[in-house]
Amino acid sequence: MASADKPINTDVPEKDVFALHFLQSLSNLRRQNTFNSPEKTNDRVKKIKKAAYVSMARAAGGTSRLWSRALLRRAAKETNKVVRFSRRKKRVTWLRRRSNRRDPVEEEEKEAERLRNLVPGGGAMETSKLIEETAYYIKCLSMQVKVMQCLVDGLSPK
Amino acid sequence: MSGRRSRSRQSSGISEDQINDLIIKLQQLLPELRNSRRSDKVSASRVLQETCSYIRNLHREVDDLSERLSELLANTDTAQAALIRSLLTQ
Repeated sequence: MASADKPINTDVPEKDVFALHFLQSLSNLRRQNTFNSPEKTNDRVKKIKKAAYVSMARAAGGTSRLWSRALLRRAAKETNKVVRFSRRKKRVTWLRRRSNRRDPVEEEEKEAERLRNLVPGGGAMETSKLIEETAYYIKCLSMQVKVMQCLVDGLSPK
Repeated sequence: MSGRRSRSRQSSGISEDQINDLIIKLQQLLPELRNSRRSDKVSASRVLQETCSYIRNLHREVDDLSERLSELLANTDTAQAALIRSLLTQ
């Protein structure tokens, strides 16, 4: 994979794209009858959280990024939906553990391992790809947080 | 090819420079390390560490905002109009 001269692209879509997707998810949620009942708060919170992640993944490009793909796959598994993906990447974390070398790379790899657990789909990525996906993931996450903050601010009683 | 994790074996074509480049890009996204001077180079593992805690913070914020949204959305009538209004008038 000779990608040495290709610049890493970390541009995320505009905030309204995220807002639009999130609003769509929210309005779909509200159409459900059980959603507005005051007793089922935990259920509602979970659904909103899931809607946030799924809409973020869709706004970021759906199945075109590894982490968004993993997010959508995880969400679809919970609802037993069938989602189409082009390729499956093997899990490669096992191969790393065989090496017993103590060198400066090792400490980095340990942190990278923790990162792998945080970024969805990280377990199947090579370190450099992981870093790239993480950059994109962080940007999208902060965008999503901004959207949600705006919503909360707008909905709160003045 | 995806099994080659060690950087001393360059069979996958990803150079050390590229990884350092990515680390620098990542560093600029983190609010903690963004303002550090270029002269003191932050170690890669430090950047990754900060990244992990930043991601965890963002996850926590999403959780928190989801809870607040859930409470606010419980009022059916007023919420709908306010929803649209709030996002269109930023």
